[in-house]
Amino acid sequence: MGGVDVKTIPIISMSDKDISAFIKKNSLALKVDECRKITELIGRDPTLTELHMFNIEWSEHCSYKSSREVLKMLPTSGPTVIQGPKEDAGIIKFAKVDGEQYGIVIAHESHNHPSQVVPYEGAATGVGGIVRDVLCMGARVIATADPLRFGDVSGKKKNYVKYVANAVVDGIAGYGNPLGVPNIAGDVYFNSSFDDNCLVNVVSLGLIKEKEIIHSAAPSDAEGYDIIVVGKATDNSGFGGAAFASLVLDEEEEEYNKGAVQVPDPFLKNILFRATEEVFRVAREKGIKLGFKDMGAGGIMCASSELCESGGFGADIDVDKIHISMKDLPPYVIACGETQERFTWISPPSFTPTILKIYNKDFELPMVAEGAQAKIIGQVTKSTDYILRCDGEIVCNVDVNVLTKGILYDREKKENKRGFKEPSLKEPSDYSKIGLRILNHPNIASKAKIYKHYDTEVQGLAVIRPGEADAGIQAPIPGCKAGYALSVDHNPKYSRIDPYMGAVNGVAEAMRNVAAVGAIPYGMTDCLNFGNPEVAEAFNDFVLSVEGLRDAATKICWKGDGKSAVPFVSGNVSFYNESVTGKQVDPSPVIACMGYMDDYRKAITMKLKEEGSSLFLAGDRKDELGGSVYYEVNGEIGANVPKVDFSKEKNMIYGVIDCIDKGLLLSCHDISDGGFFACVSEMILGGEADGVIGASVNLDSSLRADKLLFSESSGFVFEANEKNINKIKSIFNEYGLEIINIGKTTKNKSLIINNNDKKIVDLSIDELKEAWTNGLVEALE
Amino acid sequence: MKKIAVIMFPGNNCENETARAIIDAGMKAKVVRWNETTGLSDYDGYVLPGGWSYEDRIRAGVISAKDPVMEVIKREVDSGKVVLGICNGCQILVESGIIPGLKDKIQMALAPNINPFINGYYCTWIRIKNSCKRTTAFNITMDEDETIPIPIAHGEGRFATKDNDLMGQLISNDQLLFRYCDDMGNIADKFPVNPNGSLINIAGICNKKGNVAAMMPHPERATWMHQVPGMHIKGEEFGPGMKIFKSIKEYLK
Repeated sequence: MGGVDVKTIPIISMSDKDISAFIKKNSLALKVDECRKITELIGRDPTLTELHMFNIEWSEHCSYKSSREVLKMLPTSGPTVIQGPKEDAGIIKFAKVDGEQYGIVIAHESHNHPSQVVPYEGAATGVGGIVRDVLCMGARVIATADPLRFGDVSGKKKNYVKYVANAVVDGIAGYGNPLGVPNIAGDVYFNSSFDDNCLVNVVSLGLIKEKEIIHSAAPSDAEGYDIIVVGKATDNSGFGGAAFASLVLDEEEEEYNKGAVQVPDPFLKNILFRATEEVFRVAREKGIKLGFKDMGAGGIMCASSELCESGGFGADIDVDKIHISMKDLPPYVIACGETQERFTWISPPSFTPTILKIYNKDFELPMVAEGAQAKIIGQVTKSTDYILRCDGEIVCNVDVNVLTKGILYDREKKENKRGFKEPSLKEPSDYSKIGLRILNHPNIASKAKIYKHYDTEVQGLAVIRPGEADAGIQAPIPGCKAGYALSVDHNPKYSRIDPYMGAVNGVAEAMRNVAAVGAIPYGMTDCLNFGNPEVAEAFNDFVLSVEGLRDAATKICWKGDGKSAVPFVSGNVSFYNESVTGKQVDPSPVIACMGYMDDYRKAITMKLKEEGSSLFLAGDRKDELGGSVYYEVNGEIGANVPKVDFSKEKNMIYGVIDCIDKGLLLSCHDISDGGFFACVSEMILGGEADGVIGASVNLDSSLRADKLLFSESSGFVFEANEKNINKIKSIFNEYGLEIINIGKTTKNKSLIINNNDKKIVDLSIDELKEAWTNGLVEALE
Repeated sequence: MKKIAVIMFPGNNCENETARAIIDAGMKAKVVRWNETTGLSDYDGYVLPGGWSYEDRIRAGVISAKDPVMEVIKREVDSGKVVLGICNGCQILVESGIIPGLKDKIQMALAPNINPFINGYYCTWIRIKNSCKRTTAFNITMDEDETIPIPIAHGEGRFATKDNDLMGQLISNDQLLFRYCDDMGNIADKFPVNPNGSLINIAGICNKKGNVAAMMPHPERATWMHQVPGMHIKGEEFGPGMKIFKSIKEYLK
C-alpha cells in the first residue's frame, strides 16, 4: 500500500486492551482481531479514516460476513433472470415489446433498527434507500411494497408498539407519496417477539429495457473519468448507519443511535429522480457509457470504491471538494456518512458539463435544497489505490480491492431446542363467535387503514391494488397488456416453531398469492431478518431458513419449463434483531414474489362475483394449526405448522394458473392465515368490504370442525360458473389433484357453513364486515 | 393538432401520466418545467398536474401560486385559453385566485381533510357527478348529472371558504363542476361519499367563463379501463377520466 501524510494509529504496537479501549472511544464496531487483520492487509498502521472505512466495509450490513457462504445455496440464475444478485438490485425478465426485452428491477431491504428508534424517519429513509437502488440500474421506479412486523398491540409494551406502527406507516406514506411511487402490496403481523425490534422491510420495483441497464461499475475505458457526487450537501446524519444496523439495539445508547438515522427529504429526491431520468435520456441519445451508483451504507466511500473496483480501477478523491452543510467534519464522516438523497456518477470529462447542467441549472438543485448540487470530487485512476485527500494531505491510501473485498466468518451453529407442544383445546361451542374473533384479529383484519394512507394510483399503472386480491398487479408498459403481480409474505410464528418449514411456507404462500390472481411466479427476493449471528442457535435458525427457501424455490419450480427454480434475484440480510433481554425476534425470511402474466385482463380478484356459482376447495385440510391465529386467540401456539408437500403445492399452483388463464374462474383466494373460514369470509367481503353475495358451504370432514375451519394448511378456494366444472376438474386431474365442490354463492347475504350436515356457522355479511373492518383500526388506536 | 403544456413545478409527480392522457385524447402534450417559460404562450391550453409542488411549504399550492410562471397562466386564462388544475394543480389555481375567480383575490382554500377513518393523506376511489347544468371546457362529453368513478389522493382537499355569499354565487353562476356522490348519484354529505368533508361535496369548481377548472380527483389515473377497480377485463378501452380530456379537445376544436 502507498503511504499517507497524516498520523497513523499504532495498532501494531498496541495491546489488545488498548485497542479495545480505542475502538470503544471512537465508536467503532470493529473487533480487536479485525483491527490487527487490517494492519496485515495494508502492511502498516492505518489512519483513523482508514479504520472507519474498514469499520463500514466490514460491517455485517456491507460485507455479509456471516451470511455470504450460506446464501450461496440459493438459486439465483435461470431462464427468467436478466441479472442476479450482484449489484444494487436484481432484474427479472418481463415482456418483449416490438423486439425490445423489458425487465422488472427488484430490490428488497430492511430498515429495522432506525424504525424502532425513530420510526417516521427510519421508515421514510427505508423507502428512500430502496428506490435509489432501483433507479441506479437505469430504471423507472414504478412500485414499492411494505412487509411490516410490529410488537403485540395488547401486550406490555402496547403503547410504544402502537406509536411505532402508526409512525412507520406515516413515514412510508410521507416519503413514497410525494416521490410519486405507488404502493402495490404489503403485509403486517403483530406479535410480542417484535416488541423491542420492529421489522420494516421495503421492496421496490422498476421497469427497464434490457439494453439500457446502467451498471454499478466504472465503464471499461474509465481512466481519467470524473467522479461526480450529486444531491444533498453532506452532513453528519447517518454516520455509522451500516455499523448501527449490525449491532444489537441498546437502550442506553438510544441518543447516539438516533444520530445514526438518516434524514429523509422526499422533495429533493423527487427532483433528483426527474433530473436523473433526464441524464439517462441524454446519455442514451448520445451513446455515452456511464457508471452510476446510489449512496447508501458507507456513503461516498462505499459508492466510489465499489464503482472503481468493479471496473478494475482506483480513485483519487479530494474530500475538500465534496459539498458539505456542516463545518469541521472529520474526513471520515464526510467520506462515510450516510446523508440521504445522493448518487455517484462516473462520467467521461466531455459529458460532465452536461450532467452538471441538468442537475444544477435545468432542475435548479441548489434552489430546491440548500447546498444541493452536482459536483466533481475526484477522478478514476489506472492505479487501483483508493486515495482520499483532505487539506492537501493523503488521509487514506488503500488498494481498492483490499478495501472492498470484505471478510468472511464461519459462524458456529447449534440446534435451537424449541420444545413446542400441541395444546388440547375443548371444542368451541359457538363457531360463529370464534370465527368473528379471528376476523377481528389484527393479523387477519382488513389492512385498509394502512394502505389507504399510501398512494396506490400515481403513475396510472394499477390494475389490481392492495386489498383487492392476494397480489397486486400493474401494467407497467402503456399500451401493452403484459402485467406483473407482486406479493410479500412470511408468517413469523411458523418460523418461531420451525424455521425450515416457516421459510418454506413463506415461499409457498408468496407463490400461491401470485398464482391466485393468475400470474406465473417468475422470481423472488428475500429479506432475511434474524437475531445475533454470533449466537450459535440464532445462526442455526438462519441456516435452516435459507435451506427452506432453497428447497421451496427449487421444488415448486418455474411453470415456464417445469424444472428451473423460481430464482432469488436480490435480497438483504438483517442480523442483530433482538429484544432488550437478548431474545431474537421470530426468524423472519420475508419473501417478495413477482409473477408474470401476458394479459392482465385475465387477472381475477378474491371477491365473489355472481350469485349461484359454484365454490371449490383445493388443498386438504389437516391438523396443522401450529402458529395459527386460532391457537393465538386461545392463548396457545402449538407445534404442528403447515407442512408443504412440494409436489402437491406445485401442482395446485399450476392448476390454478391454468384455470385462470383459460378464463374458468370468477374469483380465487389462497388459504393461509385464519384458515378456510377467513378465506371464504374475505371472498364474501372483498377488499373494500362492500360484497353483497353470500356463500353456503357444505363440508364433509372427519377433522374436528375447529381444525377444519381454522387450520392454515395450504390451499385455495375459488368460484366458478357451473358450466365450467368439468373443465376445471380435468385440469386439476391432469396434475393428479382432486378438487372438491363445497357449495354455492348465494343471494342471501350471509356465510353458512355445514359440516357433516350440521350447521356450524351462520353469520350475516354485516357481522363479518363489522369484525373484519374494525380489527386493525382498533388495534392501532 | 392542439397543444397542451403540462406545467411541472419542483415536486410535482403526476406530469407524465397527465401528458399521456392528453396525448391519448388526441392532442399534443409537453411537460414544461417551471423555469422554461419561453414560448409558453404558444400553447392552446395548460394543465397543472398533481404532486407536492415546492414541498407544500406553508400550505399546498401557496408557493407555486406565486411562481413567475403563474403570471403567464393568468394572462392566458384571461385570453380564454383552457386551464385545468388537478389535485395540487387545483390547490394552486385556488391559491392564485384564478378559481373561483370572482374577485381579484383568494376566495377559497383547500383545507385539511376531515375524515373519520384516516387522518391526513387518503387515497381511494370515489364517485363524482357532473353538476354543471351548462357546457364548459371540461364536461362537453358528459351528460347532465352523469356520474363517474375516479380516484382521489390527497391530505388537503376540502374546499372551504369564509365568504358567506360565495356558495350562493357559485351556484347561481353554475360553477360547481363536480360533486362527490354515491353510486346512485345522491350528493350525500357524509363519509365515505364525501371523502374529505368538502363544502357541499365540492370536488371541482370552474370559473364563470368555463375555460378554467380546479378539481381534486385525478382524471389522468382513470383514463383506461384497466385502471378502474373491477374493470380491468376491459383493458385499454378508454376509462371515465378520459371524458374530461376529450372534452378539452372538443372545446378547442
